[in-house]
Amino acid sequence: MFDTLRNWVLQLGRRTRQAIAISAIAALVAIALGTWSVAQQPVTISFLVRAVEAEQLQLLVDQFEAENPDIRIDIVQGPNAADAVENLYTTSFLLGDSPYDLVYADVVWIPKFAAAGWLQDLSDRVSDDDLSAFLEADVLSGQYQDGLYRMPFRSDMGMLYYRTDVLDEIGAEPPETFEELLALAQQAQTETDVTWGFVWQGAQYEGLITNFVELVSGFGGFWVNPDTLEVGLDSPEAIAAVEFMRQVIADGITPGGVTNYIEEDSLRMFENGNALFLRNWPYVWAEANKDGSPVQGNIALKPMVHAEGQQPAACLGGWGFGLAVDTPHPDEAWRVVEFFTSRQGQKDFVLEFAYVPSRRDLFTDPDILAAFPHYQQLLEVAETTVPRPPVGQYAQISDILQRYLSAAITDQLSPEDAMQAAARETRRVLGSPDNNA
Amino acid sequence: MTQDYIRQRERRTGWLLILPALLVLLLVYAYPILRAFWLSVFTENLSTNLEPVFSGFENYGRMAQDGRFWASLGNTAIFTAASLVLELILGLGVALTLDQAFRGRGWVRTIAILPWALPTALIALAWRWIFNGEFGVWNDILMRLQIIGNPINWLGDPNWAMLGVIAADVWKTTSFVAILLLAGLQSIPQDLYEAHAIDGATPLQSFRKITLPLIMPQILIAMLFRFAQAFGIFDLIQVMTGGGPGGATEMVSLYIYATVMRYLDFGYGAALVVVTFVILIAVVAIAALYLSKVRHAAGVEE
Repeated sequence: MFDTLRNWVLQLGRRTRQAIAISAIAALVAIALGTWSVAQQPVTISFLVRAVEAEQLQLLVDQFEAENPDIRIDIVQGPNAADAVENLYTTSFLLGDSPYDLVYADVVWIPKFAAAGWLQDLSDRVSDDDLSAFLEADVLSGQYQDGLYRMPFRSDMGMLYYRTDVLDEIGAEPPETFEELLALAQQAQTETDVTWGFVWQGAQYEGLITNFVELVSGFGGFWVNPDTLEVGLDSPEAIAAVEFMRQVIADGITPGGVTNYIEEDSLRMFENGNALFLRNWPYVWAEANKDGSPVQGNIALKPMVHAEGQQPAACLGGWGFGLAVDTPHPDEAWRVVEFFTSRQGQKDFVLEFAYVPSRRDLFTDPDILAAFPHYQQLLEVAETTVPRPPVGQYAQISDILQRYLSAAITDQLSPEDAMQAAARETRRVLGSPDNNA
Repeated sequence: MTQDYIRQRERRTGWLLILPALLVLLLVYAYPILRAFWLSVFTENLSTNLEPVFSGFENYGRMAQDGRFWASLGNTAIFTAASLVLELILGLGVALTLDQAFRGRGWVRTIAILPWALPTALIALAWRWIFNGEFGVWNDILMRLQIIGNPINWLGDPNWAMLGVIAADVWKTTSFVAILLLAGLQSIPQDLYEAHAIDGATPLQSFRKITLPLIMPQILIAMLFRFAQAFGIFDLIQVMTGGGPGGATEMVSLYIYATVMRYLDFGYGAALVVVTFVILIAVVAIAALYLSKVRHAAGVEE
């Protein structure tokens, strides 16, 4: 075999032999160069983000890449609907070989992703001391069983907006309790030109759940206890919360169409000066105060109302980072997370895009307060945040509750019947202890 | 004796020749459904850390008590029945029209097939805009004609939403039914009608006595196809309403999708697939039986 090859080579002309030798050397050099340059090539960390936010995150990506030449960040732009992005992450993990090193996740996805084993436990990477700088509910909602699976990036929370001019007109202070809110709403509806007392989100979707979570906590009840898996939906407190939703509609304080409202619908009503109170998220401040808004300069915000003797509650939303379980570059990916969630990273992002930080001290940062003076009040709200139950089957129990809440506020079922059925189905899904007895 | 031997050998060769096709069919059709059945006797979801745990027929018991499953099955039945009936009536009308000789018939036939040839997701997006409560062209037309005074939120209202998705489906697939029926109509010899007319029959009588019986096989085939498609409808609904509002347009296929993709409840999802599959097979089998009867009857008459 070797002989044949040698004979064949010897038979070739001298020039041909030279040519072969040169190309062999060239090939070797090319391979060596190639290997070396691959070794020198920066590691790429990739994650999927809704297209709108991908453009905003580019601000931090540019900063990070300038400081860290050994890491590139590849943000994959996804659809703008959060559900669709969740489905894309889910599919990529179900198929096994996920192309994403990080998961930029809505807070409610975390328990499911953690339960499915798609995220790495971050407990060893971050100290309790570091975590204490974040809002408590933001940290809590990143925990699943004994692990930590999310670093909070930007937070979100529900609160009560009110019209300062209308309250001045009737000479009243902002309400603290449910009763005060009802009384003020009715007084304003009769004595001033606001048509409606209180607008919120009642369509059958996740937003309805966030409204309910705030009310049920305000009444001193709960939805699911994540430690014992106890379900509190058929407790008197939870039924009182649903009854409150039904009653404001029945009493004409809230328009009947609220059962089809999402955030924008309720905002439009408030923004046009037609409502005294609005339950909504932080983005409303800038929207309702922009030039040309009929309520510009006449609004204020405060924590949600609550029952006598109970605490106010704000439902926590927001986004953060998880570390994909099978990323080949966990340490580099973690550096990206650290940068994005750092004080400076969040501050730059908040100042540029008016999002809400997840680090407590940023609410009182002088630069941020100079740009957004109302973050002082926002911190009061942020201190009252409560997470939605961190259970793996969250999507399922949320769908159950949405269906029955919607049935109750559209008068298809009484609050008692609806909540009893919802509690029953939720217990079945979670395999919870039956505390009906 | 020799005859028998040859016939036997031919038969054996025949089996050998169709064996590869049979194997492919088994692999493609039988394996997935058997696997789904196998999965359906396990509990495999987030409470078992996505590990399969044998649970017998527990998933089926759970289904019996699952109000959402029954609601979605009911929605699917209403959607399927309504769109099939409407498509048959309209499709027959279109087919009869296209069967007539008129100038530009070729063009009209081509245009008539267009809705069916377009991708469903795009059509669904278009219909979502047509039925949009504030900017939709359908509300605009109705208001200009003074049929309604205020805009209706078509896809936001549980009752109207179902009508909306049925309308979109009928618009899209009527042409499919029409083309199938047209093929049937063109295979009917004209002399039958002439003879019937000479006997003094009116066109309506001819339609009932000649046209309908002779295109019955095509009608059944069209309905069979349409049943299978409508019963498994996913893309149109997912894009138009996502199953809402309040689950009013949630079909079984959407519920299965949510169970598997959102809840990661694979065992229960598989049980839902199996039950849907059994219903589908049962209806198709009944229809196929009826079809062979009709064909047989038609054959005897000729």
